Amino acid sequence: MLELKHELKLSKTRDEKARMNFVSGLRAHVLNDMANGMRTVWDGDVEPEFRRRQKRTPKDGPEVHKAIRGNEYFKFYSSLRVTAQDMVWQSVFPPLERNREALKSTAGRLAGRKGSLKLKSGFEVPRYVSAIDVHLMAGNYDGEYEPDDLAAGALYDNGLAVFSFGLMGQNLDDIGQSIAGFVRLKYPGFKPRKILDLGCTIGHNTGSWKDQFPAAEVHGIDVAAPCLRYAHARAEAQGRAIHFTQMNAELLEFPDASFDVVFSSMFLHEVPTKGIEKIMAEAYRVLKPGGLMLHMELPPNSQLSPYDAFYLDWDSAYNNEPFYKPFRDLSPEGLCRRAGFDANKYVQFVIPSVGWYGEKVWREAATQPRDVDNDKTGRLSDGILWYCFGAWK
Amino acid sequence: MEVSDSAEAVSRKSMRRTIRGGRPYFFGDPAIDKVLNMVVVLGSEVWTLRERLAALEAIQIRQGGLAAGEVDAHEFSAEDEAKLAAQRKEFIDSLFRILQEQVEESRRRVAKVTPRVSSAVTSKVTSKKKPPVARRTPRRRSRSR
Repeated sequence: MLELKHELKLSKTRDEKARMNFVSGLRAHVLNDMANGMRTVWDGDVEPEFRRRQKRTPKDGPEVHKAIRGNEYFKFYSSLRVTAQDMVWQSVFPPLERNREALKSTAGRLAGRKGSLKLKSGFEVPRYVSAIDVHLMAGNYDGEYEPDDLAAGALYDNGLAVFSFGLMGQNLDDIGQSIAGFVRLKYPGFKPRKILDLGCTIGHNTGSWKDQFPAAEVHGIDVAAPCLRYAHARAEAQGRAIHFTQMNAELLEFPDASFDVVFSSMFLHEVPTKGIEKIMAEAYRVLKPGGLMLHMELPPNSQLSPYDAFYLDWDSAYNNEPFYKPFRDLSPEGLCRRAGFDANKYVQFVIPSVGWYGEKVWREAATQPRDVDNDKTGRLSDGILWYCFGAWK
Repeated sequence: MEVSDSAEAVSRKSMRRTIRGGRPYFFGDPAIDKVLNMVVVLGSEVWTLRERLAALEAIQIRQGGLAAGEVDAHEFSAEDEAKLAAQRKEFIDSLFRILQEQVEESRRRVAKVTPRVSSAVTSKVTSKKKPPVARRTPRRRSRSR
């Protein structure tokens, strides 16, 4: 199991650590070994049966889903994946519950050293966050149980350490480090002075922008107060000056043309389509001319094979991610164009995880663009590649 | 440094641990999903015991005795950690070996219906000549929804 490397790390008993180790190992088994097994069952049984009956191959992810969902292996894969997902959070609750007071006092001690935190009383959390336990995380990002609560942030940070079985980096910032570093390498003349991370949760990928562009003023916004409290303490514990503000990405409270980079990671797929369109328009508005909007996301269904589209859409059907498939059915180019970006200034990158592939392969990708690789891009398994899209203003 | 639980217990509302909207079930009878969940949780506890035993053994070997709280505080060496990681993988593989049987059957059929080196064109030609029919046995057949 991955141990958090900062002061908010929870004390855990030997048994609690062992349970977390087990869940990480279980997830690696389901998402590597069983995912490969399910592909073999598809190729050897389900797909030939489909072709025999329909005299053609499946045309999209939903057809694959319909064909495979009665299969026993799919049922075991899915049932075990749900079990593992639930166990991720359940493995965190006991040490977290025991450490809640200590967590608050540590956060209090760390507050306001370099960065800042602005929360708003009476802030309205959108229903797509307040009414759902996304990815089966009880309490979601915004669950609050007492004043100044940051437990939901701790649940996410510690849970992510178990969930990612090492694929998100030692500081859970592989996405941020891979992408912010890629931008620095690919565009050496680009010197952003103000950077904004939308839907930043605990700021685990926000900090990478400060690492890669130390002179920049870096902001993170989110609707969930407990995550922002935690994000602030976490950034301070890591010695990074980041400014966190409670704000809805659909209604940014920043002036026009005020940022050089507007970034998000694993965020848009948790927002309904209407909200995504508003977020894109707001990103366009607050970007300076010459600025870059970049969203790290799961690859769109249009760029995946029917089987791989089905594989990623599993979350939408079974992991409380109702907006995941609708988002992935959208055209990223279309989203950027409708927000006001010039179609010629659209960008899309497939970036090797710097943690998984190492510096050499990752650096090479900055000069040799890659296409979406069906079974590696955006899929949390060995050999992961991060997908991102956006546009220059 | 880490957050420690030395602070006095404060009476506070517990965090909710149940998932709003419930959870999905995959088998014809949801009881199967529930039993599977129990088996996995038991598996987790079996693993937890093994890790605890490994820690005890490591300490015994090192000191020839135990002191209070020593097992909870124990950190494995990098070498022990690697050994445990390999054993854990083996344990998980053996737990789900029964599912691997279906994959092996499918793999044999993959070899039959789709030549490994096939390009899209070759597989099309092959499938025209010889329509692939998956062998089905009552044991393997599963109900479609």
